[in-house]
Amino acid sequence: MSEHNHPNYKKIYFTLVGLLVVSVAGPFLGVVWVTLITAFGIALVKANMVVQNFMHLRWEKGLMKWMLASSLVLMFLLFAGVAPDVMRHTGSGWVNDAAIAATERGIEVHGEEAEHATESEPVEETPEPEVAATPAAFDAAGAFATVCSTCHGASGQGDGPGSAALDPRPANFGDAAFWADKSDEELVRAIREGGAAVGKSPLMPAWGSLYDEEQAAQIVEYLKAFRPAG
Amino acid sequence: MAHVATAEAHAEHDAHHHGPQGILKYIWSTDHKMIAMQYLFTGMFMGLIGGLMAYVFRMQLAFPGLPVPGFGLVSPGEYNALVTNHGTIMIFWVAMPVLIAAFGNFLIPLMIGADDMVFPRINRLSYQIFFISAVVILLSLVVEGGGFGGAWTAYPPLSAESQYNLTRLGASLWVLAVALEFVAFLLGGINFITTLMNSRAPGMKAYDIPLVCWMIVIASILFMLSVGPLIAGAVMLFFDQTLGTGFYDPTRGGDPILWQHLFWFFGHPEVYVVLLPAIGIVIEIVATFARKKLFGYKIMLFTAVATGVLSFFVWAHHQFIAGIDPRMANVFTVTTLLISVPIAELLFVIIATLYGGSIRLTTPMLWALAFVAEFLIGGVTGIFLGASGSDVYLHDTYFVLAHFHYTFFPIAIIGTFAAITFWFPKMFGRMMNETLGKIHFWGTIIPFNMIFIPLFVLGLGGQHRRIYNFQNFPELAAMQPIRVLATLSLVVMLLFQIPFFVNFVRSLRRGEKAGRNPWHSNTLEWTTESPPPHGNWPPDQMPVVYRGPYEYAHPDREEDYWPQNLPA
Amino acid sequence: MQKPLATTRSATGIPTSRLAVWWVLASEVVIFGGLLASYVMHRIGHPEWAAAASVTNTWIGAFNTLVLLTSSFTAVLAHQAAEHGDGKLAARYLTFTIGGAVTFLMVKAFEWTEEITHGYTITANGFWSFYYTAAGLHALHVIAGAIIMGFVARDAAKGRELHRVEIIGIYWHFVDVVWIFLFPLLYIAK
Repeated sequence: MSEHNHPNYKKIYFTLVGLLVVSVAGPFLGVVWVTLITAFGIALVKANMVVQNFMHLRWEKGLMKWMLASSLVLMFLLFAGVAPDVMRHTGSGWVNDAAIAATERGIEVHGEEAEHATESEPVEETPEPEVAATPAAFDAAGAFATVCSTCHGASGQGDGPGSAALDPRPANFGDAAFWADKSDEELVRAIREGGAAVGKSPLMPAWGSLYDEEQAAQIVEYLKAFRPAG
Repeated sequence: MAHVATAEAHAEHDAHHHGPQGILKYIWSTDHKMIAMQYLFTGMFMGLIGGLMAYVFRMQLAFPGLPVPGFGLVSPGEYNALVTNHGTIMIFWVAMPVLIAAFGNFLIPLMIGADDMVFPRINRLSYQIFFISAVVILLSLVVEGGGFGGAWTAYPPLSAESQYNLTRLGASLWVLAVALEFVAFLLGGINFITTLMNSRAPGMKAYDIPLVCWMIVIASILFMLSVGPLIAGAVMLFFDQTLGTGFYDPTRGGDPILWQHLFWFFGHPEVYVVLLPAIGIVIEIVATFARKKLFGYKIMLFTAVATGVLSFFVWAHHQFIAGIDPRMANVFTVTTLLISVPIAELLFVIIATLYGGSIRLTTPMLWALAFVAEFLIGGVTGIFLGASGSDVYLHDTYFVLAHFHYTFFPIAIIGTFAAITFWFPKMFGRMMNETLGKIHFWGTIIPFNMIFIPLFVLGLGGQHRRIYNFQNFPELAAMQPIRVLATLSLVVMLLFQIPFFVNFVRSLRRGEKAGRNPWHSNTLEWTTESPPPHGNWPPDQMPVVYRGPYEYAHPDREEDYWPQNLPA
Repeated sequence: MQKPLATTRSATGIPTSRLAVWWVLASEVVIFGGLLASYVMHRIGHPEWAAAASVTNTWIGAFNTLVLLTSSFTAVLAHQAAEHGDGKLAARYLTFTIGGAVTFLMVKAFEWTEEITHGYTITANGFWSFYYTAAGLHALHVIAGAIIMGFVARDAAKGRELHRVEIIGIYWHFVDVVWIFLFPLLYIAK
């Protein structure tokens, strides 16, 4: 490395700082394509200057250049392969309806927050979206709908989509016989430690990692809504 | 691990020696051979765990609802955790450490005539991180909620949200263990690559390097270039699990397909990461026991490079039914079918080397030949899965599972046994018993085919991969005898590993002394003592290389082999 | 520990440690490349993230870019000094570089505190998730680089292992290059 002539590091440094100023100034013109060029074009130029002169790639053997180039090319390959699925959900002759619907639901929820954000200056003390930051109060109905209902069914009849493959069948909360011999404690225990813990089917999984004692009790209260009257 | 335990007993005796002492001599060593042993024994231990996991869930499939001897009743959650961790452990904690790390560490410095790796302490660090990762994955099996059960591919949302996978801690530890393992192999890989590039013996030109070293290094490069996006993806998945971000949640602006892409962008090259070292091992063994010059050294090398390059262009064939862009499915079908060309070429070169050789059917040679035969079945059945048209029907059935095992079993198990039986004399200075070796060979190969050929039938019969109990599906329940056959074959295969362990332990102490070069092989590792001393060769006798590694049966020579270090 | 003979050989003509650091960087390129490629495709696919992106403070980002560029400059001066065999000067320049790293991290900490107290947490929106993940991964590299540089500077001051000054420098410039791309991606493109 000591053989070649060193570049004038000071000159390169000041060029880099000058480019930085340009890239910050670019957006003030308010023209999109100018911003893109000053932002990313200059980033490429700067990166190239650092890599060639500070890292001395210019004097490195061809082998290393090929290696770095191929790792960069691979990233473009990754982008090209993934972007059709992740970046856009439509193309010529095909549409991924499910993905579009899911994204739109998300935009509805989170787009509003984003609108708030545009209106406010970040430096000022404005109330900002803390929707996701504060944990919501426990929702037993929601827990039943997302977790329990897959097997026990949306209406608690033991007829959820997952029930077909299960033997014995999942409990039917609409059955008076089910409630005849069950205490609340037993049900909480079954939810948290699984069916096997209370001598029932081992196919009922343990949900203790999801729900604490208090939450499981709330789910049990919710289950009582399915109990047949009388 | 046995050698650590015995080391402990001797710990007090060597207390006054210099350098690391006693047990530390084994676990704190920077010697590449000792690190290779650590990887090998850790890998074999994890392999045993992975095999026993297979035993438990196969028993559940064959005799659903009955307690499994030695384990008890298998609940659905446990079943999922067992299947998931069987896959994860077998790939990341058995195939990778044994084929790449253990044999890479053992063979590269010896075969290129160096005294150690270029960065011995980074090498040790690599093993230590790997060891921690192994502890973490085992720990994840016993935390609250049990092990992670979302399949080894860990697709979100199953892997990202604990309301679906039911084990917040298990899933996070799983991701953490895999990420640590990647870091360990990145460190190890950099070591392999730089060692091979820079530390070759004087006179050893690029085409004089034994192919197994090339293969391990190409595999390390593939690993290094493909794993990066998945490391980034694993960080995102970890944040989804622990902090509640939405990288893979479409309702929050993310995309679950992204994980599939990042995973398979690594996951497919990973197949070649473990395949290439196994092929390299087979080449060394075939050339030695066919007593014939390797057919086409450069063809082999450049084909391996071509395979590596192509392997980056095929990943989405794992996602044909994931709702990806149909135009991409066309592209990936073509590239997938293309990659079978270089792979076939690799196998043809091996077969061409066998042609006209004076073949010696020793145990390592049997394993090497079995590799070619079994891997061929795996490769041919892959054609059906690579073509998107037929994959739509076969996806996620036992056909995929059988195909996968017909590729990975030859790679990870057959390749490993071939390598162990071949280099055992060099590693421990004693020969293994041939009779026990052959009993073990046939006792493994025959049951292996009896496990997985029936699974092809089941897959074509429409049996889905991830089902806990087939009794509830009348048309699948009818195929129960086939499942029982596969399970019993597995039990037989596991029992036939006992002769191997007996052979291994017995040969360590009572095997016949091997001498320097029991197989009359050419490569440099056979020119030093068995086992090689610290530094591999005396400092004043470091080998110098004069020719390529496969000069067998040269017409001008009386002996049928011509070691690389003999002056002409 | 005595260095093995293997470390001193150089069949390619590139010193072993420099060869290795280039390989480390190749593996880093794909780690950051994978993350940034994911970010870019999401960013283009979600025009509504522009609102969130407009909140980031370009001036702080620009100041940090300047800090990293300057620290890169001192790192390369350290390398020059080490080449001339002046370990003391090299160590002094490396200390400047570490100072740059510390400044960078302090500015970052201030910036993040400000943003988090305004409710822009990592879970607020997809943009913020990528923002914290990418910048956080980069900050980890800054921390690691600064720590290693401390060891290198300690040795260099005593005139030992001077070749390491170049190696850590190459790594440091890479960290700089990553930030050169993160700056427009996270701050300028609104």
